[in-house]
Amino acid sequence: MIKEQELFPKANLAPPRHAGTIERYEIVLDRSKCTACGICSEVCPQFIGTAEIDYEAFKKPSGYIRLVNPKSLCAGFVCQSCVKRCPTGALTLGLNPEYAALGDRRWTADLIFSTWEQAETGRLSKRYEFDIGHSGGGFDRLRFDFELDKYGACEKIFEENEIDTSIVLNKRRDGKPKIEIPIPVYGADMSFGSVSLNVMLARAMAAKAWNTFTSTGEGGYPDELVPYKDHVITQVATGHFGVNAETIKRARIVVLKYAQGAKPGLGGHLLADKVTPEVAKMREVVPNISLFSPFPFHNVYSVEDHYRHVQLIKDINTKALVSVKVSTPIDVDMVAIGSYYAGANILQIDGGYGGTGAAPDIAKKNISMPIEYAIPMVHNYLVREGVRDEMVIMASGGIRTAFDVAKAIALGADGAVIGTSELVALGCKRCGNCERGRGCPSGIATTDPVLKHYINPKWGAQRIINLYHSWKGQWNGIIARLGLVNIRELRPSGEVKFEKGRFNHLVHLDHMG
Amino acid sequence: MDEIAAFIKPRPKSVAAISNIFLEETASQETKHIFERYRIEVKEAPPKFKIPSKFLVKRYNNCVNLQECVEACIYGVHKVREDGQIAEPLSDKCRGCHACTLACPKSAISVMINPEFEKLGNSYFTPERLEAIYYEAETGRIPVSGAGYGGPFSGRGFDGIWFDFSEIVRPTRDGIHGREYISTSVDLGRKLPHLEFDERGKMVSDVPKTIEIPIPIILDAPTTSGAGIGLQLALAKAATTLKTFSIVNAKEYSDDLKSYMPNLIPRIGIDRLSEFEELVRKARIVEVEPEGSKIDVCIRSLKEVNPSALISIRSKYDERSGERAEAFAKGGADIIHFYVDDAIVEKDPDVVKNAIQRTHSYLVYKNIRDEVTFISGGGIAEASHVPKSIILGADAISLGLAYQIALGCKICYGNEHSLDCQIKVEAKDVDWASQRILNLVSSWRDQLLEVLGGMGLREVRRQRGEIGRAMFCHEIEERIFGGME
Repeated sequence: MIKEQELFPKANLAPPRHAGTIERYEIVLDRSKCTACGICSEVCPQFIGTAEIDYEAFKKPSGYIRLVNPKSLCAGFVCQSCVKRCPTGALTLGLNPEYAALGDRRWTADLIFSTWEQAETGRLSKRYEFDIGHSGGGFDRLRFDFELDKYGACEKIFEENEIDTSIVLNKRRDGKPKIEIPIPVYGADMSFGSVSLNVMLARAMAAKAWNTFTSTGEGGYPDELVPYKDHVITQVATGHFGVNAETIKRARIVVLKYAQGAKPGLGGHLLADKVTPEVAKMREVVPNISLFSPFPFHNVYSVEDHYRHVQLIKDINTKALVSVKVSTPIDVDMVAIGSYYAGANILQIDGGYGGTGAAPDIAKKNISMPIEYAIPMVHNYLVREGVRDEMVIMASGGIRTAFDVAKAIALGADGAVIGTSELVALGCKRCGNCERGRGCPSGIATTDPVLKHYINPKWGAQRIINLYHSWKGQWNGIIARLGLVNIRELRPSGEVKFEKGRFNHLVHLDHMG
Repeated sequence: MDEIAAFIKPRPKSVAAISNIFLEETASQETKHIFERYRIEVKEAPPKFKIPSKFLVKRYNNCVNLQECVEACIYGVHKVREDGQIAEPLSDKCRGCHACTLACPKSAISVMINPEFEKLGNSYFTPERLEAIYYEAETGRIPVSGAGYGGPFSGRGFDGIWFDFSEIVRPTRDGIHGREYISTSVDLGRKLPHLEFDERGKMVSDVPKTIEIPIPIILDAPTTSGAGIGLQLALAKAATTLKTFSIVNAKEYSDDLKSYMPNLIPRIGIDRLSEFEELVRKARIVEVEPEGSKIDVCIRSLKEVNPSALISIRSKYDERSGERAEAFAKGGADIIHFYVDDAIVEKDPDVVKNAIQRTHSYLVYKNIRDEVTFISGGGIAEASHVPKSIILGADAISLGLAYQIALGCKICYGNEHSLDCQIKVEAKDVDWASQRILNLVSSWRDQLLEVLGGMGLREVRRQRGEIGRAMFCHEIEERIFGGME
């Protein structure tokens, strides 16, 4: 158990790269009615519309002009002081259409902004909805039973640091090291090529600071990551891009990627635009040609093959833990038990709605089931087989917030693997343009020589550290609120069985009796 | 041959040299016996109608020409004019990354979803689905994007179904990149439940004729009659290139379509048989829409005119479509073409899903499933709906509204077509229209291959009715969260 809070990295302010912001509310000024009395700017508790900006606005000839409020905190419909006090009724308050255009149903604008805020300050505020999206199912319809007053609950307990959120990544008695991580999450696999080197470095630095892990993904092991090798997982995937005995020997955990949730059954895609000479060199391929990892491992067509495959890794690196990353077909429970008998230490189940650098849209939506269903299936099956306590189940694919992690654990996982949230902390807006052209306009999922400098590794690392700092506080809050002492107690010991929509402090809103 | 040559071209010299020897050897043999892989020629076919851009970029007049947006945008939305001022933003190029808004210290830019874009289509043919169809019809490619799925958790109808896929113990097939051959062919026509032989081992069964089409898609007749002969020509042309069929209303048949006759299915009103005898005689498949119960009479009279033609019975789905399918099959129909109006699917997306499943199950229950080909139409709005219809039990689907959308249909369900139907295909546009249909079907076939490959299936015939390899959202939801075992 890791108790000394001094070991945890400190949250430091890491302001965003952008000068501007996107406000949730928008105040529209009807210039034909405005008499420039300035009352609005006086009554506004947040100083909307300073004199300078009003001046800017009023100079312009005609039409509707937005009253601009950079970096302001308009409280929206609850306040409306300016609208009510305007003598000529020139002001109207509305939702900013841009706010609605940002994000999607799973990652709402609120979630994005909340994650940005946590990444900036390391704290949670009440401004945004921080725990759920609006997808209408799964985690978004699950609640903890105490959540009626969620905001108060979390903030009060935030400072309380006596709660243990550490998990152990090896539960087998197979002589391999017992790796303990202080938070129940580690970083997901992202390859060099799908993301830039700076992003990989930032994630590795943050992983080191939190004494947890990040992963290379299927794109080679850049030399710059070697200083962080104790916190970098080496991925062996179907394309074997840039994988060799040396990189396998370097790692404390090796992950065998059988499938990825966003494109199960299809293998990896890296479109030609992003295969720059650097990436090609790392992957030992020809530049500017689209790369498709084959699917599946053609040396693994049965559980026996799978066993040999795991043993192969164990033979190369006798100390490493072996993690098996699978997606969620209907028989994911059988795959899980197969992996147990093959000797895997960790089973990472990647749900269908997980992130990706590039995947066919048909696969993202339609192939394999969401993680919310897969966790209880696998957990129950392993419990019935009596081997649950020897396997570590890490859930991934569609886990966005600290609350999602806690819900995943309450459904039967040991921890979670976090990908997209880390990228959102770095400034991702979920626009989905990662795959083509110069890549990501935020400089994250890119190989462009100019864009990649948008992310400074140290700054990025601090943003991710801050995010986990805030998450740690939320987990502490949840655990304390449930009357538990550590996060491992949250995981059910027996089978997951919902009755009238309730199980293990969880409530499913659609099935409440 | 060209295909092989194109394939080896970019390879290093040594490999090419070896392949050349191989080529010379094979060239000397009979070239017709070389196995020809089914493929659809895809060509760019930009739309000739206006598609609203997805995003609308607005610059407010508190802009002070700081030009931060110009640097921030990597898609070229914001540009500087020659006089040093920022030009009006080009919304068409915007991809919704919001980089410009965030870069602007004056908050003078706003990126929003274009209200025109949101008005596209309806609640079933959503703007996003239309956007995908436009992309597929223009390029013939599979829509690929970054970041995870961002839509609703599940939904009604087809949205509540996920495909299973193969992992570890069941090998997948790599069809899409051509490393393994996956067949998308289906047979139209009836099949015998078993063969019979006499005591000398000679087959006595009369094996009925079937027609194989290389994709499980046929093109339905347009829902509007105002589209004109141009659209009929484009459809017939596309069907011929695709080696599948397109349905044409016998009333709208004209001699321009003569050369495409092998790939046309004339649809004939049951009481007007005598009028179209000539057409029936030439057709390989004839479709009739029965009214009342004169099925066997009608089929008999069609067979009298053309004994070799397959008879397809077209009918609307209803509560008793299973029983009616049985009656059709017993009456001698080779193909049953059930359909549902897209307007009904829009109101209740479950309709088509339940109807396919009910009809298929009933035929299986009555032990006559293979004696008839079951084509389903309606509610097909995106590529995944083809394999989903098939997994629920259809042999093939008929494509209706989707290709019309690719040609500019604004989905008025025929209410306003007399005023302003968008899909009038002029004579000069026939090639363009047929290319757009080809592109769409090619992209959908590729996506079907992705799904089949992922599921580890080698042919689409084996996907039919495989509901064990589909996951139904409501079932799993009940099992996990509803407390049911």
